Amino acid sequence: MKSLRPVFSSLLLIGLIFSLNTKFGSVPPLGKFFDPQAGFWANAEISVPESGEIALEGFEGNASVYFDERRVPHIFADNEYDLYFAQGYIVARDRLFQLEIQTYDAAGRLSENLGSRTLNRDLTTRRRGMPYGAEKALEVMKADPKTWASINAYADGINAFISSLEPKGYPVEYKILDFSPEEWTPIKSAHLMKNMTRTLAGGNNDDRTSNTIKYFGSDFVEKFFTVKPELNDPIIPASRKWDFERIPVQKPDSLFVPASAVELGEFKKPEGVGSNNWAVSGSKTKSGYPILTNDPHLSLTLPSIWYEMQLNAPGINTYGVTLQGAPGVVIGFNEKVAWGVTNVAADVMDWYEIKFKDASKKEYWHDDKWKHTTLRIEEVKVRGEEAVLDTVIYTHHGPVTEVKSRINEEREPAYHALKWIAHIPSNEIRTFYELNRAKDYDDYVESLKHLVGPAQNFVFASSAGDIALWVNGKFPNKWEHQGRTVSDGTDPLYDWQGWIPFEHNPHIKNPKRGFVSSANQESAAPDYPYYLDDDFAPFERGRRINDRLAEMNEITVKDMQDLQLDNFSYHASTILPELLEWLDEDSLGVDEREAMELLKEWDYMNEAELIAPSLFRRWWGNFYASIFNDEYRSTKAPLRYPSRDRVKEVLKNEPDFEFINNINTEKKETLEERALYSFRATIKGMTENYGEPGENWKWGYYQNNDIDHISFIPGLSAENVFSNGSSESVNATRGGFGPSWRMVVELGPEVKGWGVYPGGASGNPGSPNYDSMLESWRTGELYELKFMKEPPKEFLYKLELK
Amino acid sequence: MILLTLLIITAYLLNLVLPWWSIAIPGLILGYQFNPKAGAAFGWGFLALFLLWGGQALYIHFANDGILSTRIAEMLGVGSPYLVILITGILGGLVSGLATLTGTLLKK
Repeated sequence: MKSLRPVFSSLLLIGLIFSLNTKFGSVPPLGKFFDPQAGFWANAEISVPESGEIALEGFEGNASVYFDERRVPHIFADNEYDLYFAQGYIVARDRLFQLEIQTYDAAGRLSENLGSRTLNRDLTTRRRGMPYGAEKALEVMKADPKTWASINAYADGINAFISSLEPKGYPVEYKILDFSPEEWTPIKSAHLMKNMTRTLAGGNNDDRTSNTIKYFGSDFVEKFFTVKPELNDPIIPASRKWDFERIPVQKPDSLFVPASAVELGEFKKPEGVGSNNWAVSGSKTKSGYPILTNDPHLSLTLPSIWYEMQLNAPGINTYGVTLQGAPGVVIGFNEKVAWGVTNVAADVMDWYEIKFKDASKKEYWHDDKWKHTTLRIEEVKVRGEEAVLDTVIYTHHGPVTEVKSRINEEREPAYHALKWIAHIPSNEIRTFYELNRAKDYDDYVESLKHLVGPAQNFVFASSAGDIALWVNGKFPNKWEHQGRTVSDGTDPLYDWQGWIPFEHNPHIKNPKRGFVSSANQESAAPDYPYYLDDDFAPFERGRRINDRLAEMNEITVKDMQDLQLDNFSYHASTILPELLEWLDEDSLGVDEREAMELLKEWDYMNEAELIAPSLFRRWWGNFYASIFNDEYRSTKAPLRYPSRDRVKEVLKNEPDFEFINNINTEKKETLEERALYSFRATIKGMTENYGEPGENWKWGYYQNNDIDHISFIPGLSAENVFSNGSSESVNATRGGFGPSWRMVVELGPEVKGWGVYPGGASGNPGSPNYDSMLESWRTGELYELKFMKEPPKEFLYKLELK
Repeated sequence: MILLTLLIITAYLLNLVLPWWSIAIPGLILGYQFNPKAGAAFGWGFLALFLLWGGQALYIHFANDGILSTRIAEMLGVGSPYLVILITGILGGLVSGLATLTGTLLKK
């Protein structure tokens, strides 16, 4: 027996080492992971990086990178190749995991490294045609020498960093998830742009609007989705006159009715995605020069979606924030001009019901003939398992999806093809290439012509004194309400019959009122001759910005920073007085009465320290649900919920609106009863969830502002960031969404910028720089941006790339 | 004591250039050479890497103001960064202890 002991012990040792070197489920290989030399401990930053020279194989050029005290890199290079090479290298150095995971996601390749838990997401990404769209975009980029040169230089820079890495130096996420970086290729830049298109232009209401017509009738849809709230305050105001005739389109005689209720997947945009930007002309500012601001509202993550950077080379000197995977600055300024973006909610994603000839699906009916489909085989590699092959059928509309519906009706839903702006060949990177170098209004307009999607409201200001705003992107020329319902895939009148010419895109330059602004609301006043969509953001933020700008004069940079942080709720101010009036005070208990008093005293400011905003939000939610849920839940079909701004008008004007009644009870409910019951439910629910009234009821906690890690790795996030704001306020911080970059730029002989984002330059959770700006962001402080004309004498540290 | 010191030094040096499992090599060789009793072999081996890995982790923890260890503790759901340091020491210790035991048994 004794002779077996060494054998036994050896086997045990081998077994132990083997299991500590293997990933089990989501548990990383423990030995490798805890190794203080090369495991996660190696990612703990124990000193500020030092200045030095880095010799890179294959790099013939020369770039100096100066890091300021916030570790923002300022790149000075001799030529464009070196500039974009250095940008790629530096971004990879700070944000490699983000670069890779975003583009893996957009390419439908997550499962390659993360296993079968992301398989469904990958399959959906592919069935939507995202990799297909990226391949088409790449062709356009290849054909444009400037873009192609810049994305290749950028790729070379990323690859130079990756090949200098040993496993010990991998970002900590690679160690947690146990995989290695791969070579960067130019198509990944195209994938990144598709990812942005999905985030910003990946929404539609087609199935829900069709179903709503089916269950509630077209009058309901007319009332809530066609009629606009009176308080709408469009981006391009009615004062703008249009001096062109629209290009006509032919409309079908009657609206197509789908074969049955449809369920096409989750396409509702989260409420927090939206943005603000504006520019005021010199006539309204103290300095006499324009001031421009922008705060794009996105899902807030660590690391931040943005990375601050200055790029300087002959012919270019620009500062701003970049998207990781694309060369150049996306939102920022240079020595002559500044620009910023907010999203345009145009409907550029339409579903078509397809009629196949037979089960082979080789032919489909369109324009009175059978047309051939094409196939695209998608191979999704899955870590630790066999690859999954998915055959996606393409019609001329786009990729076809078969949805297994929960709706039990006599007929299964038909097949649906997707027409989406992300499939249209495009080269958005060229827009930013030109904007970075723009000298005046004409350059700005020229740059916008390259942008297809996601469409953006591009605000602009120049040191020459111009301000402007273009609602810009490639928009299908649609008949009124085309594509808000499911379209007929057999009838060419439902196809996108052409495009709105670029010159016809809504735009305005140097308006009399002295400012331009956008907050995702309706693009243009009703006299604008084209149809873009029926589902823009509520008027609240846009109207508040315009109210304030109209009454302001002698504007300073500080005034503009304050307006970005404005917490006023148009939402509450236009319904809370009525709700309180409908509420029967005599029926309230003590706690309820106290809560009511808080609401009565409230000045409609969504401030973190207050309890009233929490009460209002919850009460409105319960009240809205009590009006609509009984009807909306009478079917399993997904239906379209009306926007709150229109609902409020209807309730105020039509006390007999039939949805106020609860269809599940015998009696007929009134608004007063709805207000009382929903108020009681609010206080009861708050007490159940957050205990007795007190600290926990404060809006700053209640709004639940979690800034998650980009891959939702626990511990790498910032939870419950106590903040002012709400989605309807200009300061649109709420529930992990909000101003992902706040920027204010004052034009003039010396262009000056201020900015902050909730995070830090470093993507390393082991560095103090990972979230070093979070507190300033939370309290609304902006940093003065160090925009340099020549290499600085003072800096934190410096890298020479050779 | 000599065994302990040698284990720590050689494991540290090997770990600088080779993957983490190289910490088993000193145990195997030195266990064979020094040939202590089974219990002592495991004990010395364990203690050596517990001190080495735990010590390195503790140093990094302080030098980094606990930023990363606190995040990893939260990720693992263990509550305290000191437990993360302890786990690091124990993992190293187990491998080294078992390796030293195997070394000494192979001679016997």
